[in-house]
Amino acid sequence: MAKVLMKGNEAFGEGAIRAGCRFYFGYPITPQSELAHFLAKRMPEVGGTFLQAESELASINMVFGAAGAGARVMTSSSGPGISLMQEGISFIACAELPCVIVNIMRGGPGLGNIAPVQSDYFQATRGGGHGDYRLIVLAPSSVQEIIDLVWEAFVLAEKYLNPILMLGDGLLGQMMEPVELDEEKEFFIPLRPWAASGRMGGPKRIINTLYIVPEEAEKHNFKLNQKYKEIEVKEQRWENYQTKDAQLVLVAFGTAARVCKGVVDYCREQGLPVGLIRPITLWPFPDKAFDYILSLGTVRYFLSVEMSTGQMIEDIRLAVDGRRPVHFYGRFGGMLPVLTDVVKEVKKLLLKEEP
Amino acid sequence: MHEKKLTIFVGNLGSGKTEIALNFALFLVKQGYPTTIVDLDIINPYFRTRMVRHVLEHMGLKVVCPRGELANADLPSLSPAIQSVLEDSFDYGVFDVGGDEIGATILGRYKTFLLKDSYALYYVINQCRPFTRDKASIIKNIHFIEKSARLKITGLVSNTNLGWATDIETIFKGHEVVKTVAAELDLPVAFLSIRRDLMLQVSMRLNEDIFLLPLEIFMQPPWYYGITDPLLKIPQTAKEIPR
Repeated sequence: MAKVLMKGNEAFGEGAIRAGCRFYFGYPITPQSELAHFLAKRMPEVGGTFLQAESELASINMVFGAAGAGARVMTSSSGPGISLMQEGISFIACAELPCVIVNIMRGGPGLGNIAPVQSDYFQATRGGGHGDYRLIVLAPSSVQEIIDLVWEAFVLAEKYLNPILMLGDGLLGQMMEPVELDEEKEFFIPLRPWAASGRMGGPKRIINTLYIVPEEAEKHNFKLNQKYKEIEVKEQRWENYQTKDAQLVLVAFGTAARVCKGVVDYCREQGLPVGLIRPITLWPFPDKAFDYILSLGTVRYFLSVEMSTGQMIEDIRLAVDGRRPVHFYGRFGGMLPVLTDVVKEVKKLLLKEEP
Repeated sequence: MHEKKLTIFVGNLGSGKTEIALNFALFLVKQGYPTTIVDLDIINPYFRTRMVRHVLEHMGLKVVCPRGELANADLPSLSPAIQSVLEDSFDYGVFDVGGDEIGATILGRYKTFLLKDSYALYYVINQCRPFTRDKASIIKNIHFIEKSARLKITGLVSNTNLGWATDIETIFKGHEVVKTVAAELDLPVAFLSIRRDLMLQVSMRLNEDIFLLPLEIFMQPPWYYGITDPLLKIPQTAKEIPR
């Protein structure tokens, strides 16, 4: 077992290599360029293909092609680039092909800036492209968790034949943390009867996203929907942190969750019963975490802490379903919530303290 | 230790150049040398010298870096003040260059100002980083960087660490690799840099004559504030962080 110091962006690359991904197509954009930079060096070492496409549109369609031919494939970008990829993502979801897409979020809307935000939550979880489709969205919050979740992402992509979106922000991509790299696990690429990689005397293999007869399109949408329903039941992931006797439960993912863990520790030292739910899957949103905590009966308030003007809070409200009030604290445009400010919000609610 | 007026730090992405350049420059200030630090990083978008400019200036260091709006951009903008540091015959200059051969390209721009023997060009090594794990890969990277900087490395900086998870074994293991590289290339190891809280343990076990540079860690994600030096407990100045 070896310990190395890695940037978050590099960890996405190394995680993908270890998961057996041998094709990467991408286009540089701050703050995720180190991912491409890393794989440009690393892919040739393992006999893989790194290709810098001429645009994000080209990247995602190369991913579409490679996935259709049966390859284990990844791309990455930041908000503006992910927006450009939406058409391709919708096509891949319709064609039911596996791939992993990484979005290292930067300030928006528009060209925005290169600072860390979480404001692509809606785009990620609501399906930024057209049509009735869903992406499984994974949100790691440490460099170690990136390595572990990339493996998971490829497993889920191939289990459900669906694109997986990994959502991080610029800070997670840029920061360096020690990671344990296990001995490389043997990866296994199962038979791909759906891949358009030659008939071999069998039936025709066709990858199609055109359903011109409404009856057939409805049938296909129904099939996709059954799959999404199954994912919603089986694949919710989250972390509970000090939630057992908590009267106020913070809800945060990724970088905001790192800040919130500090908040929980600080509040606990002061005798304030505060806990944290950290969603790891943003879609499916971990409703079960809320049902469980509400069943304990101690919680009085939820406080959503986000690096956006309030996006995940909608899913929290749906999950809580009016059973408790859900409050919000956010910083945006590339500013980060800091411990002291979140603690102020906590005290306002718990102690009815005015700042 | 600092007989050269200009000290330039290069190295692979994430090898620790910025922390070392900052701490080395502050070390010169403490010795009474008028010193300017130059942020030549055109690679990193976030953890850059400019992020802690106010703290450094407060500590007596002059800082040359992109200002105003440009400080938040990922543009390769270079201040004309850089040239004055190179030409100044009085001030000491410490240069923090961006990572890898791509970051080092910038030095070619200043080649005419860098006369032979007038500067120290140090290559920073963290043996725990993915592309500099062993002697062969480190030497390969040194050659890449020398080629794109169009300058010869004059010394090595031994900076093996795992961030907060660094232990003494890690430091010594990495330092041994750095020494084999130094022997192979016939280069001196200029100094060994160690987080301040680990200094005592390292110096007790070390049996060689080498300069030890204690490090305060400046480039921290915001949830680490207050864990290191109280001087750096800066959520107020941290309004600028991280960019």
